Amino acid sequence: MTAWGLAWRTLVHNPARACLAIGGVAVIGALLFDMLLLSRGLLVSFRDLLDTAGYDVRVVANEGSPIHRAPLDGAPALADAIRRLPGVERVALLRTGNAMAMTPGHENTAAGVTLIGSTESAMSGAWDIVKGEPLPATVAAGQPTPLIVSTKLAELLGVGPGSPLRLRVSLGGGASALPALDCRVAGVGTFQFEAEDFYTVATTMAGFAAAQGAPESEGDADLVLVASAPGVGPEAAARAIAALRPDVRVYSNAQVVEQFNARAFTYFRQISVVLSSMTLVFAFLLVATLLTMSVNQRLGEVAALRALGFPRRRIAANLLCESALLVGVGGAAALPLGGALAVVLDRILRGMPGLPERLHFFVFEPRTMVLHAALLAATGFLAALYPVWLAARLPIAATLRREIVS
Amino acid sequence: MTGTAPIVEGRDLTRVFPMPAGAVTALGHVSIRIAAGEHVAITGPSGCGKSTLLHLLGCVDRPTGGSLFFEGRDTGALSESDRSRIRLNRIGFVFQRFFLLPMLTAWENVELPQAEAGASKSDRRARTRELLEYVGLTGRIDHRPSQLSGGEMQRVAIARALANRPALLLADEPTGELDEATGEQIADLFDRVHADGTAIVVVTHNPVVAARAGRRLAMKSGMVVAG
Repeated sequence: MTAWGLAWRTLVHNPARACLAIGGVAVIGALLFDMLLLSRGLLVSFRDLLDTAGYDVRVVANEGSPIHRAPLDGAPALADAIRRLPGVERVALLRTGNAMAMTPGHENTAAGVTLIGSTESAMSGAWDIVKGEPLPATVAAGQPTPLIVSTKLAELLGVGPGSPLRLRVSLGGGASALPALDCRVAGVGTFQFEAEDFYTVATTMAGFAAAQGAPESEGDADLVLVASAPGVGPEAAARAIAALRPDVRVYSNAQVVEQFNARAFTYFRQISVVLSSMTLVFAFLLVATLLTMSVNQRLGEVAALRALGFPRRRIAANLLCESALLVGVGGAAALPLGGALAVVLDRILRGMPGLPERLHFFVFEPRTMVLHAALLAATGFLAALYPVWLAARLPIAATLRREIVS
Repeated sequence: MTGTAPIVEGRDLTRVFPMPAGAVTALGHVSIRIAAGEHVAITGPSGCGKSTLLHLLGCVDRPTGGSLFFEGRDTGALSESDRSRIRLNRIGFVFQRFFLLPMLTAWENVELPQAEAGASKSDRRARTRELLEYVGLTGRIDHRPSQLSGGEMQRVAIARALANRPALLLADEPTGELDEATGEQIADLFDRVHADGTAIVVVTHNPVVAARAGRRLAMKSGMVVAG
């Protein structure tokens, strides 16, 4: 019988002890799995969110923070210059602001929205039209400003394609004396960056400027989005843009993610490392205690096996296999348990205001499973060391004598 | 003592146990030779050093003085793994409390040392069947120790001890946990084992078991006083 077989039979022979150990490892392993998911989840989710927008380079003004930058002056000229670079496929300008949206005659039911101005009539990835049409390329004079409204806002205000809608920009997030702008819903769409408790409206750059009561600001932009040409890659495109315009800041998506990783996500990583370490210590203590107790209960058996000629390495192998089975079965059970727990925790954390609905804290990656397995395997191995030492170094004659006397 | 080459020979064996209250000499200057095919009983009061001597002869303990030769090899010069190999292949142990593995069946308990010694599956199967027939337990092969009586457990333990065809069978109070009738059955079994050519050293308080041995050694206070 192999060491694995003997270990298995030992566990089956003591079902209560085995179940307790496996249950304990499963619960601890589930927590560890969740901590590992949390350590990179937000980062992976954020990267995916950026990538789905279809643009891999971002250009912003030099002034301000990476999130809140000052507007870029002369953005159309900048966009044209970037567009002419050989490594660039597409360029879009973007503005963002806050506004109140209301249906005519129902001003008291206005909803606060994030207003996006874009040079693109459809930004697949940033928003996807589910009803109606994309923003028109041009708007005839006197025609109402076209809008794409989010599905949630459409539902809230009871509007759809063709419905009239009024926008009043709120400068600085406060009340505004600006006149409301008459608009028309061109389409309804889902916005990737929309938070659960927020509403979003997109319009043309001219529409955005008009809503702000400053048609002359149509040439401003908060952000230039650039899609690098296939085969060139975002890093090369970003370098080319930076060389072209040293007065602006250029980031590839990877660089944006890296910046967030180094700043905003550090807390999650640190919390995750601390809690992961704690769970590993618990797993170590649980398995080490149970195996040590098991060895202490079987000292006579172990001494007899040694007297019968079983070498130390065989005794050690039996215990290591026992530990591996406890941790292996418990670790496997931890995955579905941890997965279910992650869904619940993710839902709780995503309840924080202002987070894009598609942003997740717990994201599954194959490497997480590998890391989880490796950490538990190492813990199981370390936990078995003391009981293995205890059993392998057992004084055979003294133990046999003690077992008889007792 | 016989004139044939000894399987195991102890010369001036001493075993001292260090204790907090002072060293205790469990065995003092004992010399002993066990020849091939011999049947030796060691008797004496509790604490006289019988089991200590048996453990030294079985290479599970090292003497603090003197030397022990097993089949001509000085065991003091052997590594722990060499001594394990001798125990596995050349010595069989029978314990008072049987020490069968409780999670294994009678068959598996007997098969286990053979597997450890590297016997092939077919050889193991044949040998295990042979041994369980030998000890009269063919009807109990799938039973675990908890499903066997004391006598049956000791018979399984004897079969296990004989699994790798040892030259020397050591038994420490093999009838100590058994009633008189069952003890006699075990003594009969030892007679058969001896008749089949295996040397036996049995430590016992049981005069019936001791009487069956060809040579009887009496011990007292760590020394052989008669035999």
